[in-house]
Amino acid sequence: MKPRKNKSKEKLPKSEFLKKAQLEIQEMAFMLLAVFLFFVLVGMFVLTIVYSNLNQDAARIAEERTLSAVVSLADSPELSCIAAKSNCIDGDKLITMIRKESYQDFWPFSSLKVIKSSGFGKNEEELIKCNFANYPDCDLFVVYDKNVENERAIGSYVAFCRKEYENGYTFDKCELAKIIGGTELKTKG
Amino acid sequence: MTKKKAIAMPFNWIFAIIAGGFILFFAVFSAGKFIRTSEQVIYTETAASLVSLFDPLETGLASGKSSEIIFKKKSKIFLDCDENSNKPFGKQTIRFTEQTFGDEYGETGQPITIKDKYVFSDNVIEGKEMYYFTKPFFAGFKVNDLLIIYSNQNNYCVYNANEDFQGDIEGLNLKNIHFPNKTDICNGVEICFGGVGGRKCDIKVFEDQNYVLKNGRKLYYVNDLIYGAVFSSSEIYECNVKRIKSRFNELAQIYLDKIEIIERKNCEPKLGPKLAVLIGENIRNSNDLLLFNEKIKEINEINQRAKDGCKVYYNINWER
Repeated sequence: MKPRKNKSKEKLPKSEFLKKAQLEIQEMAFMLLAVFLFFVLVGMFVLTIVYSNLNQDAARIAEERTLSAVVSLADSPELSCIAAKSNCIDGDKLITMIRKESYQDFWPFSSLKVIKSSGFGKNEEELIKCNFANYPDCDLFVVYDKNVENERAIGSYVAFCRKEYENGYTFDKCELAKIIGGTELKTKG
Repeated sequence: MTKKKAIAMPFNWIFAIIAGGFILFFAVFSAGKFIRTSEQVIYTETAASLVSLFDPLETGLASGKSSEIIFKKKSKIFLDCDENSNKPFGKQTIRFTEQTFGDEYGETGQPITIKDKYVFSDNVIEGKEMYYFTKPFFAGFKVNDLLIIYSNQNNYCVYNANEDFQGDIEGLNLKNIHFPNKTDICNGVEICFGGVGGRKCDIKVFEDQNYVLKNGRKLYYVNDLIYGAVFSSSEIYECNVKRIKSRFNELAQIYLDKIEIIERKNCEPKLGPKLAVLIGENIRNSNDLLLFNEKIKEINEINQRAKDGCKVYYNINWER
């Protein structure tokens, strides 16, 4: 018995056969390219999802850090009250902080502000910014502000005490205030 | 014709095998890279989260606080310190990794910068549980909190400790730090106060001369910096001492400005000139701390003499 042969190929002239072979190679190359591109696209899609989550995770961690830092900020040596009070900031130290630039890269905030109770309920434009000249008759202490584009603010209420002199006595006068720490969000939304 | 067929078929196969092999290799390589990157991302996130865990341990008015971290797997924390970058405060970096297969550790995550903390520990801490505690550091006024970390793999045997040291450690309920009698058996790092005869102590504390002898190096301390000297590597300790002096300088400037404010309130603080001089003094190494501390005591006496309500600062837990 003779072995079976591919009659269609046998019958093809040489140029036709080469054309068909070329066509087959081209088909396979296109197919491989398509498969390759498909996987590349899938990979890019997965990476986009993963890295968008990564941005969200980074923002979440930064916010957690800001929250934990804001809560403990009142007890930091730079702001803590002179007398034995917890969660209390010393206004007389705070006013000196507004002209110090070195702390911008010390705390994990993109901005740090304190609003006295006199400023609660006021619009941002109505708040009187504190400086050495108008202290303590002011509302807002801007310790620093990096002016970032996308920021989320986290606040914490604290006692705000300062030295006051009346009737021959120097004493601590305290009121309520709010520390506001900002976190820069790298992604918008 | 038979020859043509023999050539045509293998060519298709060879082409498919080479292209397929390339795709497979690319896929495996990408997957490996992706897994390693994901691991690094997790380790970086863990290191960042660790820094957030340190915040609640700010002492405030407390004389100390302690806590612990328990990891799912055996982990390593790498700490570094650089007093010259991030001027004027300096910085530390923390990197994290954990065991993956067997005893192998993965590649560490990216370093996370710590600027507002002073972490005292060995350069590498390894273990499944990490214990950490904070003690406030005063140079007249409170300068910062000292954060000390060690792991469950380290067992400390403290001999002949003074009452303050033992009281503080026991008060913080710290694990793996024992105070055995001379006859008790205790295996671990031996810390000896004064002279404990017949012992090969790993760490010796000479209280009369205010230094800790560790790996042949003298680490000088004042007040609660003793904990930093005992529990951290000499490089991290010396670096943090310089960082603390930088923080002191910034705080001293704040207090100098504050003096201007409280002078308006019928107060006449007199410590300003001495404090200003101290800002300019350089601390080259921990040895300079001793002289620095003597000057601080002078300033503190001036502050204590101020009339009631006119003290520039308050220091409840200093020099118990």
